[in-house]
Amino acid sequence: MSLFELFQYVTIALYLAGTTFFFIGSLKSNKLLGKLGNLSAIGGFALHTLDLLLAVTLYRGTVLSGGYFYFSLLGWSFILVYFGLWWKLRSTFFALTASPLALLLFLVSLASQGLKVTLPTHLAGLFIGLHIGTIFVSIALMAMAAGAGVAFLYLNNKIKTKANLTGMEKEMPSLNTFDNVNHWSIIIGFPLYTLSLASGFLWARAAFSKMFSWDPKEIVTLVVWFLFAFVFHQRIMVGWRGKKPAIMVIIVFVITMISLWGINFFVPTHHSFKA
Amino acid sequence: MDHNIYLIGLNHRSAGVDVRERYALTNVEEFEDGLLEFGVREVMALSTCNRVEILVVCSPGITQTNILEYWAKRCCGSVSELEPNTYCHESLNAVKHLFRVACSLDSMIVGEPQILGQLKDSYRKAVDAGAARVIINRMLHKAFFVAKRVRTETSIASSAVSISYAAVELAKKIFGELQGQRAMLVGAGEMAELAATHLLNSGVEKISIANRTYSRAEGLAECMGGSAVPFENLYDHLVDADIIISSTGAHHAVISAKEMKKVIKKRKFRPMFFIDIAVPRDIDPDVNGLDNVYLYDIDDLKDVVEENKSQREDEAVKANSIVEFETLSFGNWINSLDLQPTIVDLFNRSESVAQQELAKTLKRLGEVDAKTHKALETMAMSIGKKLLHEPVAFLKRRTEEEGKADEFVDLARRMFNLDNETIPADAHCGRKKNSNPEN
Repeated sequence: MSLFELFQYVTIALYLAGTTFFFIGSLKSNKLLGKLGNLSAIGGFALHTLDLLLAVTLYRGTVLSGGYFYFSLLGWSFILVYFGLWWKLRSTFFALTASPLALLLFLVSLASQGLKVTLPTHLAGLFIGLHIGTIFVSIALMAMAAGAGVAFLYLNNKIKTKANLTGMEKEMPSLNTFDNVNHWSIIIGFPLYTLSLASGFLWARAAFSKMFSWDPKEIVTLVVWFLFAFVFHQRIMVGWRGKKPAIMVIIVFVITMISLWGINFFVPTHHSFKA
Repeated sequence: MDHNIYLIGLNHRSAGVDVRERYALTNVEEFEDGLLEFGVREVMALSTCNRVEILVVCSPGITQTNILEYWAKRCCGSVSELEPNTYCHESLNAVKHLFRVACSLDSMIVGEPQILGQLKDSYRKAVDAGAARVIINRMLHKAFFVAKRVRTETSIASSAVSISYAAVELAKKIFGELQGQRAMLVGAGEMAELAATHLLNSGVEKISIANRTYSRAEGLAECMGGSAVPFENLYDHLVDADIIISSTGAHHAVISAKEMKKVIKKRKFRPMFFIDIAVPRDIDPDVNGLDNVYLYDIDDLKDVVEENKSQREDEAVKANSIVEFETLSFGNWINSLDLQPTIVDLFNRSESVAQQELAKTLKRLGEVDAKTHKALETMAMSIGKKLLHEPVAFLKRRTEEEGKADEFVDLARRMFNLDNETIPADAHCGRKKNSNPEN
């Protein structure tokens, strides 16, 4: 077993331990398990970062054309955004979204070692960095907002129907906290998503000599952008709060995931993964 | 054992409020002094609005009737009136009852923590008066330990069991921290005032009061440090309120869903929490259907409280088994207060320490012949026994001469930790401040 592989196995073990601690900690309302979950996630994240740095350093020429790199980076972004939320809110609740998704994406990245991404020969340095970096952080923010949205809808329904709050429900953050997570994820996530699209189009112009080529990925991404723009506008200008933005962000996130798993794998596009 | 433990008392279940009032102890210290002069060895009295309890440790010559007579006399009453309203627990049943009281298992609302504070106050007074000695000291320390264990190991006190507390808990679930939130009273009933006080104590920043009689709103606003607003402009002021407690005497709804739709829009959909404690209700139930508006009426809150109460009852079953276990453990300690078991325990402890040290020494020496082994063993045992000779002789002498068996035996047990207790880090905090030694 190479050092590279050892890193990966330990990362999986730490993410798995973290996910387990977070779930059991939430179910049993046990703060100690939450702390252990954080420690595991920090350990996993450190090794994951090292793994990505090694991949970029050792395989500089080929890393961008491998499916492994993209899935791994997306999983890493989830944990990064979770740490941001934890630092701000001191709540491990949002790890329930970030931790399993990061674990899943890291596992998928290992299973995607053989996948190749068709890349244009013209990489246009700055644009690819901006495009990939911003899209992944904005997807991670979208995921956090969607997770907070699901929790908001659940707790909102419980309070509206006057059901008694028991066990885990008592320990859940307040409706206001979930709404704040939705708010900040949209406020930060939408400009990042827009920047990602802009840099993507500029890159396409450099690579294919045209900004928009009616590629299925481009069409779905634009649909997501319009929905994202709508909810961004409604939050900022109209003052939407609570249920409506929660539902909207869940829809946006689901379409993004369909686009990632459906279009990249099964539809001919210049973003496709090929074995 | 030449002492009896009695716990004689009355509470909200055994006596009506008139009897509880008549036999309440206005001066607990004097009452305890009187009982000590009467011949009891130790006493601690607890007197609250719901219960009066007298815990005594006395020689077999004193009976429960003697205590009742003394109590009745102090309160200018009669035994014939007092006796049918009281209960009396003896020995371990008294211990168990005290533990149950400390854990709030005997309270009107199971799990409410106030009684523990009252018990601590009574105990402090008894210590200051020199009325609590070895057995009551130990019993009360154990009671506090049991109460802490019950609170840690069960969720007996984790849910709201009063209407106003339930309202505050719900508000926290909606808004998170209540700091910075604004509350409004519509109408000014007593219960609304109580709920508003709870909210203010939980951090609500500002309170406004709307009442049909403006002067009443002004008076209440002055009391609560808030501001009065005209009832006619209610909807204008609702735009600024996050938590609204309504309790007017109106016969129809004073807040309609249609108007609230406009209010919530003006508020840019910031959440609102309505607590309607009026009967008939003040707020149109359709208000709850609006996004970001939460409406609870008195029945909804009662349901939450009742469900929490039934959860507490379930937790009380767990708490009772903890009490049973700790009562038995206390019983073992009481039994060990006779001199003979303590001497046996001392020698057992000495033998076990000697054996442990012998084993360590032999391990360090490696292979030794049987003769050396035997010699070392004899030496270790002898040192242990000889070291105990003087303390044991001292114990026998003191207990025979001065009749202070409990005190010295307890001291010896604690010095040698014969009951294998874990001593908490803060066990002796405050001892320096208190000039009265516990023992």
